[in-house]
Amino acid sequence: MRKKYFYTHIIDTSTLSLELGDMDLTPKERLHLISLIDSNIHHEILDLILSELSPLDKKAFLTHLSSENHDKVWKFIKEKVGNIEEKIIKTAEDVKKELHKDIKKVKG
Amino acid sequence: MTKSHYKQLSSRWRARHQNLQRKLWGKHKEALDWLSNGHRQLISGSLGGLMLLTGQISNSLPAINVAKAQATITQKVDKEVFLISDLEHILPEDVRPLSTEEEQKISEILSRNYGIKVAPELEGKRLNRSYGFIGAEQHLTRYPGDNLSSHFDSGEDAKLYWQQGMAPGLGAWSYFALSKEELTKEDKDREEYYIAVQTFLSEDFNSRFTEYRDFYKYRKMLVVNPNNGRAIVADIADAGPAVWTGKHLGGSPEVMHYLERVDGSLKGPVLYFFIDDPNDKIKLGPILSLPNV
Repeated sequence: MRKKYFYTHIIDTSTLSLELGDMDLTPKERLHLISLIDSNIHHEILDLILSELSPLDKKAFLTHLSSENHDKVWKFIKEKVGNIEEKIIKTAEDVKKELHKDIKKVKG
Repeated sequence: MTKSHYKQLSSRWRARHQNLQRKLWGKHKEALDWLSNGHRQLISGSLGGLMLLTGQISNSLPAINVAKAQATITQKVDKEVFLISDLEHILPEDVRPLSTEEEQKISEILSRNYGIKVAPELEGKRLNRSYGFIGAEQHLTRYPGDNLSSHFDSGEDAKLYWQQGMAPGLGAWSYFALSKEELTKEDKDREEYYIAVQTFLSEDFNSRFTEYRDFYKYRKMLVVNPNNGRAIVADIADAGPAVWTGKHLGGSPEVMHYLERVDGSLKGPVLYFFIDDPNDKIKLGPILSLPNV
C-alpha cells in the first residue's frame, strides 16, 4: 500500500501510474518506479515548504511531520506560508511534467 | 524492451531523487540535523521521518521480489513504530520509578515484541527501579594485565570504543577470567555488554547481601531505549552509579553506542527488565530484529 502524506489528497499521480501501466514492465518494476515518483514529489514538496520557513519554523514543521499528524501539519503550514496548497499543487505538477517527459523519451 | 525501459527510467529517477536529497540537505542542513540528532525519537517513530531522512529508495530493483521485500521492511518498521508508540502511551513524561501497573504493562509489551520473557522482579528480587537515566561506563578489565591495547578484537572496535577508556577499578565480580588464555567468548561478551545497576539500593540489600550478590552476578537484563526501540541483552557486571549523579544505571561503551544513548546533559532514559532465562539460552548483545509475533 502506498504511503499517505499530508498532501496526498491534493496530488494526483494516477496519470503517471497509468502511463507506466501501459508500458511493458513487470509488476515489480512498476512498483519500484511508482515509489521513485512518490519520493521525487515528496522531496520537492519538502524543499518547497522548508524554503518558505524560518529556521525555527522549519524545526516545528519537521516535528509535526514526524508525528504524522496531517491536520497539525496543514494547520501549521497554512498559518506560516501563503497559498501553500496552490504552491504544493504547482510543485507536484511540475515534477509530474518532468517525469512524463522522461517516460516519453524512454518510449521513443 | 522491458529491461531497457525500466533501467532507463529507474536510472533517471534515482539520479533525480539523489540530487534532490543533496539539495534538501544542503539547503536545510541545520533543521534536518536537528531532527536526526536531537530529536531522533521523533523520526524513529515515524515512517514519514524515516523516508525524509533516508530517502527510502533502493538503488536498484532487488533480485528478490520487491513487493515482498518492501512488505518485510514495512513490517519491521511498523513493529518498531508500534513498539515505540505502545511504550509512549504508558511511560510517564518524567523519568520516575514506574508503578506496578506500568511495569506489568511494559513487561507484557517487551516480552511480546522481543520474544523474550521479561519482568521487573525475578525470584522475589527487584532493583530500585526499572526505568531510569543511563550513563556511560568505561571498559572493565577482563583479566590481570588487560588494558586498552589488548582489549579490542579489531581496529574498528578500537576506533569506536578506545576513547571511553578503562575503569580504574575492577567490576563488581572482579576479573572476568584469571588470565588472557582463559578468557572465553562468554567472558568477552559479559564485559562488552555489561551494565552497572544500583544493586545497593535493592530492598534489604544489606541484610540479604549474599542472596542478592549471587542473584545479580551476570544477571541478564533487557535494556531498551524507548525512544528508538533499540534493545540489547545486557548483563550486570558492576554496581553503580552513585545516587548523587542523578543517573540510575550505567552502560558499557558498546551498550551505549548501540542504544544511541549518551551521557551528560543529553542523557536519556532506558527501560531495564530482568530476563527470565533459566536455561541460559538467550545470547548477550543487540537484538537486531524483532521476531514475528
